[in-house]
Amino acid sequence: MSFINYAQKMVRENIREYGMFIALFIIMMVFAITTNGLFISSRNLVNLVNQTGYIAVLAVGMTLVIVIRHIDLSVGFLAGFLGAVAAIAMVSWHLPVYVVIPMILILGIVAGLFTSFLVAQLGIPAFVATLAGWLGYRGALQLITISTGTIIIPNETFNAIGNGFIPDIPDIGILPGVHKLTLILGLLAITLFITNELITRRRMQKHNFEILPAGIFTLKLVFVSALIGGIAWILAGYQGLSWTAVVVLIVVILYDFITSKTVLGRHIYAVGGNPEAAELSGIRVKKITHVVFASMGMLSALSGILFAARLRSATTVAGTLFELDAIAAAFVGGVSAAGGVGKVMGSLIGALVMTSLTSGMNLMGIDISYQYIVRAGVLVAAVIFDVATRSQGK
Amino acid sequence: MKPIEEAIPVVEMRNIKKNFGAVQALRGIDLALHHNEVLGLVGDNAAGKSTLMKVLSGAYIPDEGEIFLEGKKAHLSNPMDARRQGIEMVYQDYALANNLDVAANVFLGREVVRIRLGPIGVMDHRHMEQETKSLLNRLKIDISSVRQKVERLSGGQRQAVAIARSTAFNAKVIIMDEPTAALSVAAIDKVLDLVRELKAQGSSIIIISHRLEDIYQVSDRMIVLRQGRKVSDTPVEGDIHEFRERVVAYMIGARDDFREKTVAG
Repeated sequence: MSFINYAQKMVRENIREYGMFIALFIIMMVFAITTNGLFISSRNLVNLVNQTGYIAVLAVGMTLVIVIRHIDLSVGFLAGFLGAVAAIAMVSWHLPVYVVIPMILILGIVAGLFTSFLVAQLGIPAFVATLAGWLGYRGALQLITISTGTIIIPNETFNAIGNGFIPDIPDIGILPGVHKLTLILGLLAITLFITNELITRRRMQKHNFEILPAGIFTLKLVFVSALIGGIAWILAGYQGLSWTAVVVLIVVILYDFITSKTVLGRHIYAVGGNPEAAELSGIRVKKITHVVFASMGMLSALSGILFAARLRSATTVAGTLFELDAIAAAFVGGVSAAGGVGKVMGSLIGALVMTSLTSGMNLMGIDISYQYIVRAGVLVAAVIFDVATRSQGK
Repeated sequence: MKPIEEAIPVVEMRNIKKNFGAVQALRGIDLALHHNEVLGLVGDNAAGKSTLMKVLSGAYIPDEGEIFLEGKKAHLSNPMDARRQGIEMVYQDYALANNLDVAANVFLGREVVRIRLGPIGVMDHRHMEQETKSLLNRLKIDISSVRQKVERLSGGQRQAVAIARSTAFNAKVIIMDEPTAALSVAAIDKVLDLVRELKAQGSSIIIISHRLEDIYQVSDRMIVLRQGRKVSDTPVEGDIHEFRERVVAYMIGARDDFREKTVAG
């Protein structure tokens, strides 16, 4: 098979996975042109990443919830409520930030387990159970902020999570004005990626598994390396890697690992694909439901922390509509409403697509009403694409 | 004379009774399956064949009766428990996760773990894929890649995967519930070939089917159930027409080999 033929076959078979990367790339290019390069400036991209952060972590959790055929509408106000609890814990209770963050994450897990108790043990449809959560957490958020209104968070360590950047190594005279640690991390990521790919390829070859032809393989290495390098270079041109980006990267890498490499991940997808078959194979569907909702609760807490830190305050309306942004990001990122299908990495890209649209259209000065309509179009297009490529695959 | 181990049936069910409310689904059925034997289980709708096999696969607990596995009394509390004791069931609707690939389905619920970090087990993909590959080769199942998602396979291929999966973990007995019901004619032949292949490789199989020609083609012996009772237990022999007439006579109640016994009991 020739190089071109193989490439065509690859694209055909993997269009679902590459589709959203292509979409993100096109959207970024279009905005780069329409805003005369302003969109892809270091400063805007850093901002974009920080804006995506609190939706991206929700979208990661939502991916798994939708994969097991449920939904969670409570995550937005849960995030807002827990953000406010964090603020109160620091401002009124004077707890140190290193106690507050784990405490909030644990509260998130508890909230998630409460939801999964309703869903898995009592058999209440997730839509209804989490709609109750949406109302309840909204009320709780208003209740705890009623006397204070917006709570200003004075803790700089906490606020750095939403606004700060990783420190740089001391200036050694080369590349002045460039964030060198970010560049070094970028190079490290490229090295790790290439070594890992080479080792995997050699192992697969040894055991006679199907591998990519050398040409395509090289192309893949070059493309991904250039992508990582490019992003690192752009970020290094401003203030480097933000703490939000670090948090999101850790979450995405961790969840990607769990979903693709571990037994737990395999069982989550099996439950999504065929709950009866999963149960017959000895997978405890209820346990998986608890784990997935607990993880969603924890990520809601994380989202609340990121958002409060970014605003340096807890507001009475924090978290409004986050849940729908997260669900939209997941669907744009290739998660199937039918369950069983969807990747964590895809939802991250989906979140980036949605924030890019907002950011780009803001820079272009497009009215907010049109912005909603455009985002609606993108969401529908993504789902149509999903349905079309799925039926083609059969 | 045969060695003693071979004379002990791999599965023996004695006097199995099961009621659902006022309905007597099973009225004291005896069933024995010998090593390396294919046993056909036939009967009209509601004759009790699926119920009997659900008892054997742990899905139903019988009201009365005993089950022996290789001569030892067995307690089967649920399907997973039965599976651990070597009883594998292939369901009519395959019971596969269509969103996962072939290897993932074969090892579903029994994943091979490379490293364990607390509750998190890291899977050994390579090992599972290789095992699946050699399993498919051994059973002469034609699927191009073990990484293919099940949703992309034909009905016959899915059934083959479901059957392969049941044999992957040294099962003592494989129960197939209507393995050909949802298949095209060409796919049926392949599944029957697979049953013969399994027998050639030493498996012991119980096959439920409403297609008498399937039973005739692959079974060594046949049990006919009628209204929750065993009415016939005979070797499969003679030509297909004679066989069919005989089976139908048992199924509609015109013949009954165990009537006296029931009256006496």
